[in-house]
Amino acid sequence: MKEKRAAPLAVMLLVMIYLLIPLAVSIVYSLFRKWTGVLPEGFRLDNYIALFTDGEFLASVGRSIAMCIVPIAATIVIVLLALFVTTIYFPKLEKYVQIICMIPYTIQGVILSVSILSLYVGSPTFLSNRLLMLMGAYCVVILPYIYQGIRNGMRAVHMPTLIEAAEMLGASKLYAFFRVVVPNILSAIIISSLLAVGIIFGDYVLIRNLAGTSAPNMQIYLYQTMKHDSTMASAVFVIIMLTTFIITLLVLLLQNKDTKRRQQQVKE
Amino acid sequence: MGYIHFENIHKDFGQNKVLKGITMDVERGHLVTLLGPSGCGKSTLLRCLAGLEEVTSGTVSLDGKDITHVNPRDRGIGMVFQQYSLFPNMSVAQNVAFGLNMKKVPKDTISRKVAEILKIVGLEDKAEQYPNQLSGGQQQRVALARAIVTEPKVLLLDEPLSAIDAKLRRNLQVEIRRIQQDFGMTTIFVTHDQDEAMVMSDVIHLFHNGLIEQSGTPTEMYTQPVSKFAASFIGNYNILSAADFQKASGEAVDCADVAIRPEIVRINLEVADESKRFHMEGEVVNSLSHGNLMRYTILCGGVEINADIMFEKSHLLEIGQKVRLSIRKTNVILLNS
Ligand SMILES: Nc1ncnc2c1ncn2[C@@H]1O[C@H](COP(=O)(O)OP(=O)(O)OP(=O)(O)O)[C@@H](O)[C@H]1O
Ligand SMILES: [Mg+2]
Repeated sequence: MKEKRAAPLAVMLLVMIYLLIPLAVSIVYSLFRKWTGVLPEGFRLDNYIALFTDGEFLASVGRSIAMCIVPIAATIVIVLLALFVTTIYFPKLEKYVQIICMIPYTIQGVILSVSILSLYVGSPTFLSNRLLMLMGAYCVVILPYIYQGIRNGMRAVHMPTLIEAAEMLGASKLYAFFRVVVPNILSAIIISSLLAVGIIFGDYVLIRNLAGTSAPNMQIYLYQTMKHDSTMASAVFVIIMLTTFIITLLVLLLQNKDTKRRQQQVKE
Repeated sequence: MGYIHFENIHKDFGQNKVLKGITMDVERGHLVTLLGPSGCGKSTLLRCLAGLEEVTSGTVSLDGKDITHVNPRDRGIGMVFQQYSLFPNMSVAQNVAFGLNMKKVPKDTISRKVAEILKIVGLEDKAEQYPNQLSGGQQQRVALARAIVTEPKVLLLDEPLSAIDAKLRRNLQVEIRRIQQDFGMTTIFVTHDQDEAMVMSDVIHLFHNGLIEQSGTPTEMYTQPVSKFAASFIGNYNILSAADFQKASGEAVDCADVAIRPEIVRINLEVADESKRFHMEGEVVNSLSHGNLMRYTILCGGVEINADIMFEKSHLLEIGQKVRLSIRKTNVILLNS
């Protein structure tokens, strides 16, 4: 038994080390002045202090956050409304909605950005706005994740009966949906949007191709810093990694809480 | 025309004709039961009255007004569903207050009414709990409270007790009946449990394949089934074809089938001759104890007949024992459909 376990464990450990080394090295790089011998020398927090006092960096963080919130909020509203309409009025169309929402899984970032550019860049209307294009692209990329999350949440609450019950008490269908169904799938919505945050934070291809340097976010900032100061870049990288890590942790925690609550309900 | 009137209601789901011309009246203040096997269209008729389902043809009227095409929320009808019907994100009090909030009732009236109704259903100490903290029976009482607190013209109950265990079910049956009578609330109750229908109803409508097979008071339904289906669904009738009946009793009857309730069959050990009765000779082949009743199965001329006898220790029959049955002729129901 023990021997059987040893091999996969060793592999796992190797993979972990392989993945964590860059992060560990980056942390060390960002915190020390010199690392030529065995041990790094000259501990300092300069890089971080500089970053957090640099208006451009803070602005890039702000942009990153805004570029997360807007597409996620928009996608959630679109998916909710689509699922509301299909579940209540056209149950037969649901499978098509599902197919449409799953397509982006298969599209690569490069192809997506090139297609969007070739379609809209020449448009005389607001559609040629680079930031709008980027946010639109993000909506597409996170669509499958948001859809899956919300769909799963809805399965658990028996939406048609809840809406009918509310209707019999004098509510309209739409009111019932937002007042009775949505609060019950809130945790599913939060989990899938945090997942989407992770995806958007991890993107470089889309922002590079679509927005270029016109509105640098954290990733672009990282790329530019890398060119002139590698220890500073390490600090940026560490901050991005930590943010992503915290978000992932939050997702896991919420997911755990959610399944626990469900199990509790089943027991009762 | 009754308080609620269904006129020739048809309802199709695609090719599936579910309701095939239901005409039915419900009197004000009555509790009426729709009884029938699974899939016969009981819920569908209820949902047509609620407005949750659009009728294919026919009209529904309530209190003299045609409501066939009125929006569900404007019909003034309350409904309790089989399950899942409480709002999980709201406390018991918020659930009950939901309908009053929709009606824009003033806040202080709402809290007073909610407290009152929770007291009536015996849940005044659960007001701040959430549905997942309640038992099934408590949840259904909240659903009931939520439906009647808005004082609807009609209350619809679609198998509200089917997910609840037998004992609690009895209590809730009595409780629902009491509240319904206290409020004088016109109520339609759906069930496929004949005992439940017997206990609760003023009138029972027996459904069969999208049509009403028979309507009547519980006693009428029990003692005078009009068809083979009705006799097989209500009570524990012995149903014999005319030929079988002749084999067992030696007398011819002019009908298709004969229905005999087990409790009118008398078991005698000696010959008793009476021209007012049918007589059969047979042998006990099975016995089953139903608490205070013993149900014997007796084989008479190759035909099995069930007879219910009050349990008495000194009068138990043995398997294989020869007995004579006598059945009062006027109690035998002759069926032609
Ligand atoms: N929305 C629907 N779409 C298609 N068919 C339906 C729909 N609702 C009901 N039916 C069909 O109508 C028939 C009657 O259903 P209904 O729910 O009225 O039966 P019921 O008498 O209430 O049975 P049960 O005792 O099992 O609840 C069934 O054959 C069912 O498949
Ligand atoms: Mg039903």
